[in-house]
Amino acid sequence: MSPRLHRLKSSSLFAALTPLELKIVDGLLHERRYLKDEIVFDEGEEGQALYLLMSGRVRISRLHEGMTQVVAELEPGGFFGDLALLDNSPRNAQARALEPCEMAVFFRADFLGLMETDAVIGYKISLALARHIGLRLREWMGTGRPQLEAL
Amino acid sequence: MTGMMDSERSGPIVWSGIIAATCVLLLLLKQLLWLALPFIFGTVLYYVLLRPMQRMVRSGFSRNAAALWVCTVFFGLATLAMVLALNWSDGPEEDSWEATIGLYLDGGVAFVRNTMALLEAKFPILAEMRLTSTVNTAFAAYTNDFASNHLGEIVVGVVTWVPSLLLAPFLTFFLLRDGLRFKKFLARAVPNAYFERALYLLHEVDQTARRYFEGLLKLTVLDTVVLALGLWIIGVSSPLLLGLISAVLAWVPFVGSIAGCVLVVIVASTDAPATPLVAYGAIVVFVLVRLLDDFVFMPLTLGRSLHIHPLVTVIMIFVGGMLAGVVGLMLVLPLLGVVMVVGETLGRLVTNPRLRARHRYAKALRVRQASIDLDIARERRGAPTASTKPLKPLK
Repeated sequence: MSPRLHRLKSSSLFAALTPLELKIVDGLLHERRYLKDEIVFDEGEEGQALYLLMSGRVRISRLHEGMTQVVAELEPGGFFGDLALLDNSPRNAQARALEPCEMAVFFRADFLGLMETDAVIGYKISLALARHIGLRLREWMGTGRPQLEAL
Repeated sequence: MTGMMDSERSGPIVWSGIIAATCVLLLLLKQLLWLALPFIFGTVLYYVLLRPMQRMVRSGFSRNAAALWVCTVFFGLATLAMVLALNWSDGPEEDSWEATIGLYLDGGVAFVRNTMALLEAKFPILAEMRLTSTVNTAFAAYTNDFASNHLGEIVVGVVTWVPSLLLAPFLTFFLLRDGLRFKKFLARAVPNAYFERALYLLHEVDQTARRYFEGLLKLTVLDTVVLALGLWIIGVSSPLLLGLISAVLAWVPFVGSIAGCVLVVIVASTDAPATPLVAYGAIVVFVLVRLLDDFVFMPLTLGRSLHIHPLVTVIMIFVGGMLAGVVGLMLVLPLLGVVMVVGETLGRLVTNPRLRARHRYAKALRVRQASIDLDIARERRGAPTASTKPLKPLK
């Protein structure tokens, strides 16, 4: 496997994929680069894609009673904007690069197309997404941190 | 995927721009006539072969190998089917293809003359108007000068069109192999602020073209089957081949249908020269299929594909024909569909102040990064440089 596929595999989203499946998914991903302080997406914007952090750090924040509330800071391997893969509801938070970042972007239409044409890959990614959302839900219930839902 | 589209509808300015852009593209298309037809065939075949190719890619083939395999198998089978269809004819035939064409043309002319005679016998006023002799004179004037007036044009046309039609398989192959790469290449050129919407735009353009060409293909299959069945019932030779050719000709609105009908009548009248009822039956079958096509099949296939108002559709078909002739008639609807998606999305991008502000901010960040070590004079004075001066952050 190439170093890039290794990096994709290290993310919990794609951890269950075989090398061939990873290669197929990699063919659908778009590469983007962001500078420090650049906005990836805004709160309230219609979400179309999931972002997987390949390098750099990203801060997720949201406005709460007029104050900016930091929800999380993500490291390489982390992903955000995952709810956009499931529906086209508005983003719950703003994502901003804390340092120069490289990201792999998974467009929702490509994901839905993959679900239709390759059910095995679709099911593996969906399961990883469900686990990720479940984990956040457990954290939220356990720690009372409502911010996590914003991810 | 309709959320973005439904949330904000475009106004009259954007729609005027969409129609103007479609007209300009049609005029450009007229200059690239030789490329238009292979492009249509290539795109239709691309959407037909995309799924089998994707299946092959998922089973471990490279995109190159998968595209090559599906193209080779498809065009091999198509050539075989064509050869079989041409050789498997139960209609009248001569020794050479030139003589066979002559036979069918004679059959068509004889049918017209017989019909004229029949009409004159039924309606004496037509005999008084010398209908048959008028038509005969017109025929003679056309056919006598045909070789000197039109043969050169036809030969040049064939020499130009045949090589360009051979482009279709190549276009299909490269669209299959590099389509995804091209999409990513286009997306890469888009600034970060507009990236997600640009992805959506590319997806919608692809979906619009796919819906149109898949709809066209379904329509062709339905037309072929129904027409073949009708022609087979009244006893015309090679009904499936005739049905297929007529259905493909019907891709050109109005003109194609007339050409298909003429073809069917010529074959029917040559098959049974002594029984003009077969040719009349063929006309009836053709008209019935066209009605079925316009009122049932078309709304079920193409009508659902583009989501354009029927009045705009009809007006644009006329405009397409006026601006770019037959190719304009053929391409005006898919072109309008794609320009509509692009225009509506661009209209929303240009008028979104937040996205523009984010783009300006990202540009300023890039300028600052590019000039990070260039402001030496200010650095020597100890004043803060552009690189150290913080940008006012976007909230």
